[in-house]
Amino acid sequence: MTGRSAKQWLDEIRALDLPERVRIMNVCGGHERSITMAGLRTALPANIELIPGPGCPVCICPEEDIYEAIQLALNEAITLVAFGDMLRVPVNVPKKDIRSLEQAKAAGADVRPIASPLEAVQIARQQPERPVVFFAAGFETTTAPVAAMLMEGAPENLSVLLSGRLTWPAVAMLLDADTSGFDALIAPGHVSTIMGPEEWQFVPEKHSLPCAVAGFTPESLLAAMYSTLRQLIEGRAFLDNCYPELVRAGGNPTAQAQMQQVMLVTEANWRGIGSIPASGFSLREAYAAHDTRKLFPARADDLRKRAGQMPPGCDCARVVLGKIYPNECRLYGSGCHPRHPIGPCMVSDEGACRIWWAGGVREPATSGPAGQSAHATTG
Amino acid sequence: MCLGIPMQIQSIDGFIAHCEAKGVTRDVSLFMMQDEPLEAGDHVVVHVGYAIQKISPQEARTAWELYDQMLAAGD
Repeated sequence: MTGRSAKQWLDEIRALDLPERVRIMNVCGGHERSITMAGLRTALPANIELIPGPGCPVCICPEEDIYEAIQLALNEAITLVAFGDMLRVPVNVPKKDIRSLEQAKAAGADVRPIASPLEAVQIARQQPERPVVFFAAGFETTTAPVAAMLMEGAPENLSVLLSGRLTWPAVAMLLDADTSGFDALIAPGHVSTIMGPEEWQFVPEKHSLPCAVAGFTPESLLAAMYSTLRQLIEGRAFLDNCYPELVRAGGNPTAQAQMQQVMLVTEANWRGIGSIPASGFSLREAYAAHDTRKLFPARADDLRKRAGQMPPGCDCARVVLGKIYPNECRLYGSGCHPRHPIGPCMVSDEGACRIWWAGGVREPATSGPAGQSAHATTG
Repeated sequence: MCLGIPMQIQSIDGFIAHCEAKGVTRDVSLFMMQDEPLEAGDHVVVHVGYAIQKISPQEARTAWELYDQMLAAGD
Protein backbone atom coordinates (compact mmCIF):
# COMPACT_ATOMS: atom_id res chain seq x y z
CA MET A 1 0.00 0.00 0.00
CA THR A 2 1.14 3.53 -0.60
CA GLY A 3 0.21 4.51 2.96
CA ARG A 4 -0.81 8.12 2.39
CA SER A 5 -4.26 9.52 1.74
CA ALA A 6 -5.18 11.22 -1.53
CA LYS A 7 -5.10 14.58 0.24
CA GLN A 8 -1.62 13.91 1.60
CA TRP A 9 -0.38 12.96 -1.86
CA LEU A 10 -1.94 16.11 -3.31
CA ASP A 11 -0.18 18.20 -0.63
CA GLU A 12 3.12 16.46 -1.46
CA ILE A 13 2.64 17.20 -5.15
CA ARG A 14 1.70 20.84 -4.50
CA ALA A 15 4.85 21.24 -2.39
CA LEU A 16 7.09 20.20 -5.31
CA ASP A 17 9.02 22.76 -7.31
CA LEU A 18 7.13 21.88 -10.46
CA PRO A 19 8.22 22.71 -13.99
CA GLU A 20 6.10 25.20 -15.90
CA ARG A 21 4.35 22.42 -17.77
CA VAL A 22 4.28 18.65 -17.23
CA ARG A 23 2.33 16.21 -19.36
CA ILE A 24 1.68 12.78 -17.83
CA MET A 25 0.15 10.15 -20.07
CA ASN A 26 -1.83 7.14 -18.93
CA VAL A 27 -2.48 4.13 -21.17
CA CYS A 28 -5.29 2.40 -19.33
CA GLY A 29 -9.00 3.10 -19.55
CA GLY A 30 -9.35 2.11 -15.89
CA HIS A 31 -6.80 4.75 -14.91
CA GLU A 32 -8.54 7.38 -16.97
CA ARG A 33 -11.87 6.47 -15.37
CA SER A 34 -10.43 6.80 -11.84
CA ILE A 35 -8.70 10.09 -12.70
CA THR A 36 -11.89 11.55 -14.17
CA MET A 37 -14.31 10.24 -11.54
CA ALA A 38 -12.06 11.38 -8.67
CA GLY A 39 -11.69 14.82 -10.30
CA LEU A 40 -7.90 14.64 -10.16
CA ARG A 41 -7.46 17.07 -13.07
CA THR A 42 -9.08 19.89 -11.17
CA ALA A 43 -7.43 18.93 -7.87
CA LEU A 44 -3.89 18.99 -9.25
CA PRO A 45 -1.88 22.15 -9.95
CA ALA A 46 -2.83 23.62 -13.35
CA ASN A 47 0.63 23.03 -14.86
CA ILE A 48 0.14 19.24 -14.58
CA GLU A 49 -1.70 17.88 -17.62
CA LEU A 50 -3.08 14.34 -17.50
CA ILE A 51 -3.35 12.90 -21.00
CA PRO A 52 -5.37 9.76 -21.79
CA GLY A 53 -3.38 7.71 -24.32
CA PRO A 54 -3.90 4.41 -26.17
CA GLY A 55 -5.55 2.59 -23.28
CA CYS A 56 -8.82 1.36 -24.77
CA PRO A 57 -8.70 -1.99 -26.57
CA VAL A 58 -12.14 -1.53 -28.10
CA CYS A 59 -11.07 1.84 -29.54
CA ILE A 60 -8.02 0.46 -31.33
CA CYS A 61 -9.59 -2.81 -32.51
CA PRO A 62 -9.15 -2.70 -36.29
CA GLU A 63 -12.21 -1.82 -38.31
CA GLU A 64 -11.59 -4.83 -40.59
CA ASP A 65 -11.82 -7.22 -37.62
CA ILE A 66 -15.19 -5.82 -36.55
CA TYR A 67 -16.36 -5.97 -40.17
CA GLU A 68 -15.23 -9.61 -40.35
CA ALA A 69 -17.16 -10.43 -37.18
CA ILE A 70 -20.29 -8.78 -38.60
CA GLN A 71 -19.96 -10.70 -41.88
CA LEU A 72 -19.50 -13.98 -40.02
CA ALA A 73 -22.55 -13.33 -37.87
CA LEU A 74 -24.69 -12.38 -40.86
CA ASN A 75 -23.60 -15.01 -43.37
CA GLU A 76 -22.53 -18.15 -41.53
CA ALA A 77 -24.61 -20.57 -39.47
CA ILE A 78 -22.81 -19.65 -36.27
CA THR A 79 -23.28 -18.06 -32.88
CA LEU A 80 -21.00 -15.06 -32.42
CA VAL A 81 -20.04 -14.05 -28.89
CA ALA A 82 -18.08 -10.94 -27.94
CA PHE A 83 -17.45 -8.70 -24.95
CA GLY A 84 -20.40 -6.35 -24.67
CA ASP A 85 -18.50 -3.20 -25.63
CA MET A 86 -17.67 -4.58 -29.07
CA LEU A 87 -21.31 -4.94 -30.07
CA ARG A 88 -21.94 -1.22 -30.48
CA VAL A 89 -18.77 -0.17 -32.34
CA PRO A 90 -19.74 1.02 -35.82
CA VAL A 91 -17.74 0.26 -38.98
CA ASN A 92 -17.45 2.52 -41.99
CA VAL A 93 -20.17 1.32 -44.35
CA PRO A 94 -23.07 3.18 -45.98
CA LYS A 95 -25.87 3.95 -43.51
CA LYS A 96 -28.24 1.52 -45.22
CA ASP A 97 -25.83 -1.35 -44.48
CA ILE A 98 -25.44 -3.14 -41.18
CA ARG A 99 -22.80 -1.20 -39.25
CA SER A 100 -22.35 -3.00 -35.95
CA LEU A 101 -22.76 -6.37 -34.30
CA GLU A 102 -25.72 -4.90 -32.44
CA GLN A 103 -27.41 -4.12 -35.76
CA ALA A 104 -26.52 -7.59 -37.04
CA LYS A 105 -28.25 -9.04 -33.99
CA ALA A 106 -31.31 -6.88 -34.63
CA ALA A 107 -31.32 -8.19 -38.22
CA GLY A 108 -31.56 -11.75 -36.93
CA ALA A 109 -27.94 -12.84 -36.52
CA ASP A 110 -27.13 -14.93 -33.44
CA VAL A 111 -24.91 -12.44 -31.60
CA ARG A 112 -24.52 -12.65 -27.83
CA PRO A 113 -22.63 -10.44 -25.38
CA ILE A 114 -20.42 -12.23 -22.88
CA ALA A 115 -18.36 -11.08 -19.91
CA SER A 116 -15.90 -13.98 -19.75
CA PRO A 117 -14.27 -16.65 -21.92
CA LEU A 118 -15.94 -19.12 -19.50
CA GLU A 119 -19.30 -18.02 -20.93
CA ALA A 120 -18.07 -18.71 -24.47
CA VAL A 121 -17.16 -22.25 -23.40
CA GLN A 122 -20.54 -22.68 -21.70
CA ILE A 123 -22.47 -21.51 -24.79
CA ALA A 124 -20.42 -23.82 -27.05
CA ARG A 125 -21.12 -26.78 -24.74
CA GLN A 126 -24.84 -26.03 -24.73
CA GLN A 127 -25.03 -26.32 -28.53
CA PRO A 128 -22.34 -28.80 -29.66
CA GLU A 129 -23.70 -29.00 -33.21
CA ARG A 130 -23.41 -25.28 -33.87
CA PRO A 131 -20.11 -23.42 -34.36
CA VAL A 132 -19.47 -20.64 -31.85
CA VAL A 133 -17.10 -17.81 -32.80
CA PHE A 134 -15.57 -15.83 -29.93
CA PHE A 135 -14.56 -12.38 -31.21
CA ALA A 136 -11.83 -11.67 -28.66
CA ALA A 137 -10.53 -8.10 -28.68
CA GLY A 138 -8.48 -6.84 -25.77
CA PHE A 139 -5.12 -6.11 -24.24
CA GLU A 140 -2.99 -8.58 -22.27
CA THR A 141 -5.51 -8.72 -19.41
CA THR A 142 -8.06 -10.23 -21.78
CA THR A 143 -5.78 -12.06 -24.19
CA ALA A 144 -4.16 -14.08 -21.38
CA PRO A 145 -7.51 -15.56 -20.25
CA VAL A 146 -8.30 -16.40 -23.90
CA ALA A 147 -5.00 -18.31 -24.09
CA ALA A 148 -5.83 -20.05 -20.80
CA MET A 149 -9.26 -21.00 -22.15
CA LEU A 150 -7.73 -22.61 -25.26
CA MET A 151 -4.93 -24.33 -23.39
CA GLU A 152 -7.31 -25.83 -20.88
CA GLY A 153 -9.20 -27.39 -23.77
CA ALA A 154 -12.04 -25.53 -25.48
CA PRO A 155 -15.01 -27.40 -27.02
CA GLU A 156 -14.43 -28.49 -30.64
CA ASN A 157 -17.12 -26.14 -31.95
CA LEU A 158 -15.57 -23.04 -30.32
CA SER A 159 -13.18 -20.89 -32.34
CA VAL A 160 -11.55 -17.55 -31.63
CA LEU A 161 -11.45 -14.51 -33.90
CA LEU A 162 -8.42 -13.10 -32.14
CA SER A 163 -7.85 -9.37 -31.99
CA GLY A 164 -5.58 -9.18 -28.95
CA ARG A 165 -2.96 -6.49 -28.56
CA LEU A 166 0.10 -5.79 -26.44
CA THR A 167 -0.06 -2.39 -24.75
CA TRP A 168 3.57 -1.32 -24.63
CA PRO A 169 4.38 -1.32 -28.39
CA ALA A 170 1.95 1.57 -28.97
CA VAL A 171 3.78 3.64 -26.35
CA ALA A 172 7.12 2.59 -27.84
CA MET A 173 5.90 3.72 -31.26
CA LEU A 174 4.84 7.12 -29.88
CA LEU A 175 8.19 7.59 -28.17
CA ASP A 176 10.21 6.37 -31.16
CA ALA A 177 8.38 8.86 -33.39
CA ASP A 178 9.66 11.64 -31.15
CA THR A 179 6.26 13.35 -31.24
CA SER A 180 4.99 11.64 -28.14
CA GLY A 181 3.73 14.82 -26.50
CA PHE A 182 4.23 13.65 -22.92
CA ASP A 183 6.94 13.97 -20.28
CA ALA A 184 6.13 10.99 -18.04
CA LEU A 185 4.13 7.79 -18.18
CA ILE A 186 1.73 6.07 -15.78
CA ALA A 187 1.97 2.38 -16.72
CA PRO A 188 -1.10 0.13 -16.53
CA GLY A 189 -1.68 -1.83 -13.31
CA HIS A 190 -3.35 -5.03 -14.38
CA VAL A 191 -1.39 -5.41 -17.62
CA SER A 192 1.73 -5.23 -15.43
CA THR A 193 0.18 -7.71 -12.97
CA ILE A 194 0.16 -10.31 -15.74
CA MET A 195 3.14 -9.32 -17.90
CA GLY A 196 5.40 -7.90 -15.18
CA PRO A 197 6.40 -4.26 -14.68
CA GLU A 198 9.66 -4.91 -16.56
CA GLU A 199 7.82 -4.44 -19.87
CA TRP A 200 7.91 -0.68 -19.17
CA GLN A 201 11.63 -0.50 -18.40
CA PHE A 202 12.27 0.83 -21.90
CA VAL A 203 10.52 4.11 -21.03
CA PRO A 204 13.18 5.32 -18.56
CA GLU A 205 16.08 3.33 -20.08
CA LYS A 206 15.68 4.11 -23.75
CA HIS A 207 13.82 7.42 -23.59
CA SER A 208 14.90 8.81 -20.20
CA LEU A 209 11.27 9.41 -19.28
CA PRO A 210 9.95 8.86 -15.73
CA CYS A 211 7.55 5.94 -15.45
CA ALA A 212 5.48 4.47 -12.62
CA VAL A 213 3.03 1.57 -12.52
CA ALA A 214 -0.20 2.58 -10.78
CA GLY A 215 -3.25 0.87 -9.36
CA PHE A 216 -6.76 2.19 -9.62
CA THR A 217 -7.31 4.11 -6.39
CA PRO A 218 -6.71 7.88 -6.41
CA GLU A 219 -3.99 7.25 -3.81
CA SER A 220 -2.09 4.86 -6.06
CA LEU A 221 -2.49 7.10 -9.09
CA LEU A 222 -1.35 10.17 -7.15
CA ALA A 223 1.61 8.23 -5.73
CA ALA A 224 2.62 7.33 -9.30
CA MET A 225 2.23 10.95 -10.42
CA TYR A 226 4.28 12.13 -7.44
CA SER A 227 6.97 9.59 -8.31
CA THR A 228 7.22 10.68 -11.93
CA LEU A 229 7.21 14.37 -10.95
CA ARG A 230 10.03 13.81 -8.43
CA GLN A 231 11.94 11.90 -11.09
CA LEU A 232 11.52 14.79 -13.53
CA ILE A 233 12.58 17.41 -10.99
CA GLU A 234 15.61 15.41 -9.89
CA GLY A 235 16.57 14.53 -13.46
CA ARG A 236 16.70 10.78 -12.91
CA ALA A 237 14.23 8.56 -14.70
CA PHE A 238 13.45 5.07 -13.45
CA LEU A 239 10.58 2.60 -13.32
CA ASP A 240 8.65 2.84 -10.06
CA ASN A 241 5.99 0.40 -8.87
CA CYS A 242 3.17 2.16 -7.04
CA TYR A 243 0.91 -0.91 -7.15
CA PRO A 244 3.10 -3.43 -5.26
CA GLU A 245 0.08 -5.13 -3.69
CA LEU A 246 -0.65 -6.73 -7.06
CA VAL A 247 2.25 -6.02 -9.41
CA ARG A 248 5.20 -8.29 -8.66
CA ALA A 249 8.54 -8.68 -10.40
CA GLY A 250 8.06 -10.97 -13.37
CA GLY A 251 4.25 -10.65 -13.28
CA ASN A 252 2.25 -13.86 -13.53
CA PRO A 253 4.70 -16.31 -15.18
CA THR A 254 2.04 -19.04 -15.52
CA ALA A 255 -0.20 -16.76 -17.58
CA GLN A 256 2.74 -15.62 -19.73
CA ALA A 257 3.79 -19.21 -20.43
CA GLN A 258 0.23 -20.06 -21.47
CA MET A 259 0.11 -17.10 -23.87
CA GLN A 260 3.42 -18.18 -25.40
CA GLN A 261 2.26 -21.74 -25.80
CA VAL A 262 -1.01 -20.79 -27.53
CA MET A 263 -0.13 -17.62 -29.43
CA LEU A 264 2.53 -16.00 -31.57
CA VAL A 265 3.31 -12.30 -31.34
CA THR A 266 2.75 -10.67 -34.72
CA GLU A 267 2.64 -7.30 -36.43
CA ALA A 268 -0.86 -5.90 -36.01
CA ASN A 269 -3.08 -3.09 -37.16
CA TRP A 270 -4.41 -0.56 -34.62
CA ARG A 271 -7.46 1.47 -35.52
CA GLY A 272 -6.51 5.12 -35.66
CA ILE A 273 -2.82 4.35 -35.40
CA GLY A 274 -1.83 1.90 -38.14
CA SER A 275 0.37 -1.14 -38.15
CA ILE A 276 2.73 -1.69 -35.21
CA PRO A 277 5.42 -4.42 -35.26
CA ALA A 278 5.13 -7.21 -32.68
CA SER A 279 1.99 -5.77 -31.09
CA GLY A 280 -0.68 -8.40 -31.81
CA PHE A 281 -1.28 -12.11 -31.57
CA SER A 282 -2.16 -15.03 -33.81
CA LEU A 283 -2.95 -18.58 -32.76
CA ARG A 284 -0.20 -21.16 -33.16
CA GLU A 285 -0.69 -23.98 -35.65
CA ALA A 286 -1.48 -26.42 -32.85
CA TYR A 287 -4.65 -24.40 -32.23
CA ALA A 288 -5.66 -24.05 -35.89
CA ALA A 289 -8.85 -26.02 -35.22
CA HIS A 290 -9.92 -23.15 -32.94
CA ASP A 291 -8.77 -20.34 -35.27
CA THR A 292 -11.78 -18.62 -36.86
CA ARG A 293 -9.57 -17.13 -39.56
CA LYS A 294 -8.54 -20.63 -40.65
CA LEU A 295 -12.07 -22.02 -40.44
CA PHE A 296 -13.77 -19.16 -42.31
CA PRO A 297 -11.04 -17.60 -44.45
CA ALA A 298 -13.49 -16.18 -46.97
CA ARG A 299 -14.90 -13.73 -44.43
CA ALA A 300 -11.65 -11.84 -43.99
CA ASP A 301 -11.40 -8.87 -46.31
CA ASP A 302 -7.82 -7.67 -46.69
CA LEU A 303 -9.00 -4.75 -48.78
CA ARG A 304 -10.48 -3.25 -45.63
CA LYS A 305 -7.08 -2.97 -43.98
CA ARG A 306 -6.80 0.76 -44.22
CA ALA A 307 -4.45 1.97 -41.54
CA GLY A 308 -6.00 4.41 -39.14
CA GLN A 309 -9.51 4.15 -40.49
CA MET A 310 -11.96 6.02 -38.27
CA PRO A 311 -15.46 7.27 -39.20
CA PRO A 312 -15.58 10.48 -41.27
CA GLY A 313 -15.29 13.61 -39.13
CA CYS A 314 -14.30 11.60 -36.06
CA ASP A 315 -11.10 12.55 -34.26
CA CYS A 316 -10.81 9.31 -32.26
CA ALA A 317 -7.45 8.64 -33.91
CA ARG A 318 -5.96 11.76 -32.34
CA VAL A 319 -7.73 11.14 -29.02
CA VAL A 320 -6.31 7.60 -28.87
CA LEU A 321 -2.80 8.90 -29.49
CA GLY A 322 -3.16 11.58 -26.82
CA LYS A 323 -2.76 14.36 -29.36
CA ILE A 324 -6.02 16.02 -28.35
CA TYR A 325 -8.37 15.75 -25.38
CA PRO A 326 -11.76 14.09 -25.98
CA ASN A 327 -13.69 17.35 -25.91
CA GLU A 328 -11.44 18.77 -28.61
CA CYS A 329 -12.94 16.32 -31.12
CA ARG A 330 -15.08 18.03 -33.75
CA LEU A 331 -18.00 15.70 -32.98
CA TYR A 332 -17.79 15.52 -29.17
CA GLY A 333 -21.21 16.18 -27.72
CA SER A 334 -22.64 17.40 -31.02
CA GLY A 335 -22.85 14.45 -33.39
CA CYS A 336 -21.28 11.93 -31.05
CA HIS A 337 -22.44 11.01 -27.56
CA PRO A 338 -22.97 7.71 -25.71
CA ARG A 339 -26.52 7.17 -26.99
CA HIS A 340 -25.40 7.70 -30.59
CA PRO A 341 -21.67 7.03 -30.69
CA ILE A 342 -19.84 7.66 -33.94
CA GLY A 343 -16.30 6.83 -32.92
CA PRO A 344 -15.18 3.89 -30.76
CA CYS A 345 -13.88 6.20 -28.00
CA MET A 346 -17.51 7.12 -27.23
CA VAL A 347 -18.66 3.48 -27.23
CA SER A 348 -16.41 1.70 -24.79
CA ASP A 349 -16.46 2.10 -21.02
CA GLU A 350 -12.70 2.46 -21.40
CA GLY A 351 -12.87 5.03 -24.19
CA ALA A 352 -11.67 8.46 -23.12
CA CYS A 353 -14.65 10.22 -24.72
CA ARG A 354 -17.18 7.99 -22.98
CA ILE A 355 -15.38 8.41 -19.66
CA TRP A 356 -15.24 12.20 -19.95
CA TRP A 357 -18.92 12.29 -20.89
CA ALA A 358 -19.78 10.10 -17.89
CA GLY A 359 -17.61 12.40 -15.76
CA GLY A 360 -19.80 15.36 -16.69
CA VAL A 361 -17.73 17.00 -19.42
CA ARG A 362 -20.45 17.94 -21.88
CA GLU A 363 -19.01 21.00 -23.62
CA PRO A 364 -16.38 21.33 -26.34
CA ALA A 365 -12.91 22.26 -25.13
CA THR A 366 -13.21 25.95 -25.94
CA SER A 367 -15.88 26.40 -23.28
CA GLY A 368 -15.01 23.39 -21.11
CA PRO A 369 -14.71 23.51 -17.35
CA ALA A 370 -11.46 24.55 -15.74
CA GLY A 371 -8.83 21.87 -15.83
CA GLN A 372 -10.49 20.02 -18.69
CA SER A 373 -9.47 22.45 -21.41
CA ALA A 374 -7.34 21.71 -24.42
CA HIS A 375 -3.67 20.94 -24.19
CA ALA A 376 -1.45 22.15 -26.97
CA THR A 377 -1.37 19.66 -29.79
CA THR A 378 1.91 18.23 -30.81
CA GLY A 379 1.23 16.83 -34.21
CA MET B 1 -11.93 -4.42 -19.70
CA CYS B 2 -8.90 -3.95 -17.50
CA LEU B 3 -10.78 -3.59 -14.22
CA GLY B 4 -10.14 -6.50 -11.91
CA ILE B 5 -12.59 -7.32 -9.15
CA PRO B 6 -11.34 -8.71 -5.82
CA MET B 7 -13.24 -11.83 -4.72
CA GLN B 8 -12.92 -14.32 -1.89
CA ILE B 9 -12.55 -18.03 -2.65
CA GLN B 10 -15.24 -20.11 -0.93
CA SER B 11 -14.37 -23.52 -2.37
CA ILE B 12 -12.15 -24.99 -5.08
CA ASP B 13 -12.98 -27.81 -7.51
CA GLY B 14 -10.14 -28.47 -9.95
CA PHE B 15 -9.36 -25.20 -11.75
CA ILE B 16 -12.72 -23.68 -10.81
CA ALA B 17 -13.13 -21.67 -7.62
CA HIS B 18 -16.49 -20.70 -6.25
CA CYS B 19 -15.93 -17.05 -5.28
CA GLU B 20 -17.90 -14.37 -3.48
CA ALA B 21 -17.83 -10.60 -3.35
CA LYS B 22 -20.48 -8.33 -1.86
CA GLY B 23 -22.96 -11.19 -1.72
CA VAL B 24 -22.52 -12.05 -5.39
CA THR B 25 -21.10 -15.47 -6.17
CA ARG B 26 -19.32 -16.55 -9.35
CA ASP B 27 -17.36 -19.51 -10.65
CA VAL B 28 -13.85 -18.25 -11.38
CA SER B 29 -11.10 -20.02 -13.31
CA LEU B 30 -7.83 -20.57 -11.45
CA PHE B 31 -6.12 -21.86 -14.60
CA MET B 32 -3.75 -18.87 -14.74
CA MET B 33 -2.97 -19.30 -11.01
CA GLN B 34 -2.27 -23.03 -11.03
CA ASP B 35 1.33 -22.57 -9.85
CA GLU B 36 0.24 -20.51 -6.84
CA PRO B 37 -1.05 -22.36 -3.74
CA LEU B 38 -4.60 -21.13 -3.13
CA GLU B 39 -7.23 -22.26 -0.66
CA ALA B 40 -10.70 -21.34 0.54
CA GLY B 41 -10.62 -17.99 2.32
CA ASP B 42 -7.95 -16.48 0.04
CA HIS B 43 -8.70 -13.36 -2.00
CA VAL B 44 -7.92 -13.08 -5.70
CA VAL B 45 -8.32 -10.32 -8.28
CA VAL B 46 -10.62 -11.57 -11.03
CA HIS B 47 -10.54 -10.31 -14.59
CA VAL B 48 -13.10 -11.53 -17.17
CA GLY B 49 -13.77 -14.60 -15.02
CA TYR B 50 -10.11 -15.54 -14.48
CA ALA B 51 -8.08 -14.99 -11.31
CA ILE B 52 -4.95 -13.05 -12.29
CA GLN B 53 -3.25 -12.59 -8.88
CA LYS B 54 -3.63 -13.23 -5.17
CA ILE B 55 -4.38 -10.22 -2.97
CA SER B 56 -4.45 -9.66 0.78
CA PRO B 57 -7.82 -9.20 2.56
CA GLN B 58 -6.92 -5.59 3.44
CA GLU B 59 -6.09 -4.80 -0.19
CA ALA B 60 -9.28 -6.47 -1.36
CA ARG B 61 -11.25 -4.16 0.95
CA THR B 62 -9.44 -1.08 -0.34
CA ALA B 63 -10.17 -2.07 -3.93
CA TRP B 64 -13.84 -2.50 -3.13
CA GLU B 65 -14.02 1.00 -1.65
CA LEU B 66 -12.89 2.28 -5.04
CA TYR B 67 -15.44 0.22 -6.98
CA ASP B 68 -18.21 1.37 -4.66
CA GLN B 69 -17.28 4.97 -5.39
CA MET B 70 -17.19 4.33 -9.12
CA LEU B 71 -20.53 2.53 -9.06
CA ALA B 72 -22.02 5.41 -7.08
CA ALA B 73 -20.69 7.88 -9.64
CA GLY B 74 -22.49 5.89 -12.34
CA ASP B 75 -22.77 6.92 -15.97
